Amino acid sequence: MAAGATIESSNKSRRNKASALQTAWVLNLLTDLAFNLLIFFVVCASTTPEKGRPQQVPSASKDKPNEAKPQTVEVALTRTTVTINGAEVSSKDFTGKLKELLDVKPKPEDRVVIVKSAKDTPYRHWIRVTGMVEEAGGVITLQLEEEKEVTVR
Amino acid sequence: MRFKRRKLGISPPYVSMADIAFNLVLFFVILAKTQDESHIVWEPAEAQGAKAAPISRVSISVDKDGLVYFNGKQAGVRDLAPLVEKELANLSPKDRAVLLKIHKETLASTFEPILEAVSQAGGEVVHVIEDERK
Repeated sequence: MAAGATIESSNKSRRNKASALQTAWVLNLLTDLAFNLLIFFVVCASTTPEKGRPQQVPSASKDKPNEAKPQTVEVALTRTTVTINGAEVSSKDFTGKLKELLDVKPKPEDRVVIVKSAKDTPYRHWIRVTGMVEEAGGVITLQLEEEKEVTVR
Repeated sequence: MRFKRRKLGISPPYVSMADIAFNLVLFFVILAKTQDESHIVWEPAEAQGAKAAPISRVSISVDKDGLVYFNGKQAGVRDLAPLVEKELANLSPKDRAVLLKIHKETLASTFEPILEAVSQAGGEVVHVIEDERK
């Protein structure tokens, strides 16, 4: 009877040891899983790619207005307004009116749109209008004021 | 009769410690940024046609005070063309994107010369904007 009790207690201790080992392995794996999930969610949450819009901007035309090619569409921007060939146009009608002028010019080189901005034109206004020019099929060229270095004696 | 209890030895999980260490290293490598632009305060303009911006070696930022930054460092507008040219040297045309992060209220007197400088240096301009909410 004593021998039976000894065998039973050793079996019981073996089972306890086995289950403790199993528990330890499971805990190890769960820890790994927890860290992997943590990294997964951190990476997903942090990588928000920026959104942008590419734009082809050829080198600015420094031609004077009277030297510009005839029939080139000219868009002028001020702080709040936009004009096409000198005529003020509302934002809603801008794309339609520009498309009408550009549709008669099948060649890409003829669809150049000269964009002149007043010095106080805000970027948000400029980017919206140039987006509409591209939507209408125009090729944007900027007209900048020419800078000259003058030596003062 | 005394029965000896065998003490169960509990040892630290050496195998998974190595995994944890590598995971932490990956975590910090991913978080580390090569260009720190967190000091530049700016708001993007809203417009249509925004797509995922390409990965670019060059970014030019203009903050709300009108200060110009080249790859996170303050620069003058006149210095931009040579800086951009140097960064884009020997790159193929598809890798010449230059990200422009211009604050929405920046005036034309500031951003137009920047566009001209990038165009002169042979870069492809990519305006970083937000999708316009309708």
